[in-house]
Amino acid sequence: MKKKSGIRGFFKKLYKYRIFLLMLMPAIIYTLVFAYYPMTGIVLAFKKYKYAGGIWGSPWNGLNNFKFFFQSGQAGLVTRNTVLYNVLFIIVNTVLQIAVAVFLTEIKNKSFRKISQSLMFLPYFISWVIVGVMAFNILSADYGFMNRLIESLGGERISFYTTPKIWPLILTFFNVWKGIGYGSVMYLAAIMGIDTSMYEAAAIDGANVFQRIFKITIPSIMPTTIILFLMSIGGIFKGNFDMFYNLIGNNGLLYNYTDVIDTLTFRALITNSDYGMSAAIGLFQSVLCFITVLVANKLVGLYDKDYTLF
Amino acid sequence: MKMFKKLVSLGLGMTLSMGMLAGCGSSEEAKSDSVASDAPKQEAQADAAGGKTYNGVDVSEHVDLTMYLIGERTPDFDEVYGKINEILEEKLNCSINVEFLSWGEHDTKYSMLFSSQEDFDLIFTASSWCHYEQTVALGGFYEMTPEFIQTYAPNIWEVVPEMAWDQAKIDGKIYMVPNYQNEFGQDVIAVRGDLMEKYGYKDITSWDELKNFYMDVAANEENMFACGGGPTYQYWQAQGLTTTSGTPKGGELILYNTQDPSDLSFTYVMDWDGFLDYCKQAKEMLDAGCWSQDVLSSTDERQVGLLSGKSAAMVWNLGSCMNYAKQANAEHPEWKVTLCDPVSAQDKKVNSYINNGVAINLSSENPERAMMVLNEFYTNPEVNDLTRIGIEGKHWEAVGDDQYKVLDAMSGYGVDSNCNWGWTNCTIKREEYIEDRTELNDRHDAILENWNANVKAEHPYDGFNFNTEPVTTQVAAVDAVVATYYGPLTNGVVEDVDASFNEFKDMLEAAGIRDIIAELEKQAAEHVAAN
Repeated sequence: MKKKSGIRGFFKKLYKYRIFLLMLMPAIIYTLVFAYYPMTGIVLAFKKYKYAGGIWGSPWNGLNNFKFFFQSGQAGLVTRNTVLYNVLFIIVNTVLQIAVAVFLTEIKNKSFRKISQSLMFLPYFISWVIVGVMAFNILSADYGFMNRLIESLGGERISFYTTPKIWPLILTFFNVWKGIGYGSVMYLAAIMGIDTSMYEAAAIDGANVFQRIFKITIPSIMPTTIILFLMSIGGIFKGNFDMFYNLIGNNGLLYNYTDVIDTLTFRALITNSDYGMSAAIGLFQSVLCFITVLVANKLVGLYDKDYTLF
Repeated sequence: MKMFKKLVSLGLGMTLSMGMLAGCGSSEEAKSDSVASDAPKQEAQADAAGGKTYNGVDVSEHVDLTMYLIGERTPDFDEVYGKINEILEEKLNCSINVEFLSWGEHDTKYSMLFSSQEDFDLIFTASSWCHYEQTVALGGFYEMTPEFIQTYAPNIWEVVPEMAWDQAKIDGKIYMVPNYQNEFGQDVIAVRGDLMEKYGYKDITSWDELKNFYMDVAANEENMFACGGGPTYQYWQAQGLTTTSGTPKGGELILYNTQDPSDLSFTYVMDWDGFLDYCKQAKEMLDAGCWSQDVLSSTDERQVGLLSGKSAAMVWNLGSCMNYAKQANAEHPEWKVTLCDPVSAQDKKVNSYINNGVAINLSSENPERAMMVLNEFYTNPEVNDLTRIGIEGKHWEAVGDDQYKVLDAMSGYGVDSNCNWGWTNCTIKREEYIEDRTELNDRHDAILENWNANVKAEHPYDGFNFNTEPVTTQVAAVDAVVATYYGPLTNGVVEDVDASFNEFKDMLEAAGIRDIIAELEKQAAEHVAAN
């Protein structure tokens, strides 16, 4: 059938799919109201904000709002830290979450599986504020659990809070610990969706457990993995403020290894609450993230068109 | 597989949107609140012949006001403010509703109240520690002209000294009613008397004594620190220096000699050998174990170490030190906690009056009535007592005309615990009557008496506030780098003091500290010329 073109065709289609479109309506309205409308606030990044003028009435400020970030001399460092931490988290999390999902499905004892899954899920519900306090009590130089342990084993105390170099390790540990249960659910669902007849066929062909995992499970959950990967790439220039702020706080000594864009911005602007400058940094991060997503999506598309987000 | 992919993304989308919806819930309440208080705003019926007046101003129209304070609502707060509202209804034909911004959230939420156009009339404010300068810079407060104050709050105008109004001025305009009392900004130490005795100290009055005592404790006491962190302020106060209000990092980077009114120079700490010397001493003290290696990450409040017996001293203002010293002695009489002033040699600076105050919201519907309410709070002894110490007969009983005795129910309200500091008025303030005086009481009174006898001469910069507006970029950049080095240096947790010091200096130069200093010198010169 030849495709009908022009306005008439469009309206005809509109009528034909009216039920579907109606069902789509709430989502569209939601996106417009909560995602596109607030986006107009981006102008704030170029304004000198005053309460009386509000977002629209305040005078223009050119690119001045971006200046402080680069003038602080820390822009390069924190941007690097942000990206490196996110890359590290994405890789470690993806690998471990898939591993956990695979292990869980391979466990045959149902109650054991459920219990271990729940236990891994629990940390997700603990606020970073609490995690920060827990970390301090574990790592404190004077009465921390770790140092008590080290001492009782005859070792030398380690002053964690004055040793910047080990923090990437500690941060990764807490990030993984907190997110692994929640993250693996997605992969678990994907594994559950795999056609069991494939496993039956493999069993008949004499495949062992490793072959089953690497030849069936992993390739089958690839699309999910890539979607989740692309979605996390979208936030690669945004530091997890809650985590960094609560674990590091005001400990300047650790900043060279732990300062991210968000914590730097917070410190710079918390005392003078300059909305324009905060908006400018938000825009800076968003634009970089946008570019990264576009590039990553394109690259994935080169590999397999089906795996792309859009 | 395709189908599944769609399902997953749909699921993800839903989870995300649910989260966003949940986040919006709380703001609804605030909205409905503001609608309600709009209602009584009708045209003034000024023709009512027998209309109520207050100091000659017509108040025949009833209004409801909202005030924001800092802190937590105490159990008896609403009862006390119920009494206050009875008085306000009668005299001013209005009522006041109080909302609180907690200590933890006021840093972030204060400015949000203005940017979200919350409907409120009065708000607590204070120079530097409670957002006064920043909010003025962003245009959040209603300007109080002398005519405005004289018309609607004539009694305040009578009581508050001119110097206080001058301090409140930014660019020649007043935006807050400052409190009126001689409050000393001087920190003291509450310190273990038993340990002082043990190491042979009668008193701790100088930097050297302080340091030696700290070192003695660190060297000889098992599992005990001397204090909670580097005694930076004590070091420079001993040299007559103090912070410059309004400059980055709470003014700690740029100091001036407050003891000598003729000395109009600023001391930028990175150009000052004394600061480098201090940083080295701080490292020496940290290495000796005067305070914890974790000092930068510890979130313990100042009193925790002293009260738990983990440290020998705490540093805070006289009132707080007194409170915790009392508490410590009540729990452990053998500690004999006492008070010492480690910078005794210096005359004392009275806090500027804008260290506490109240401002009016620019978008308030009734700034005039708000000002009248403030007039009552500030100068009506009955209302003032209610806000400070609660209900007579329940929380306290009068001893003579100007003293009070605390009753048991006081725990439900607390003395000076309800953010009533904005309208403290020393001309009508009741003092506490103490029945069983202890050595600690005598010590406290002796220190205070000594301070009152040695108030230092007013320095031209004491009432000066730096306006960051022309150098916002540089200030933000400096604030961004300062935490990386300043805390580690002043607490001695760096490996190489000289290297860190020089790195810090370079970073500050790059961030534009010189522009800030140049602007500061310009503004300070204008300030001196204008006064």
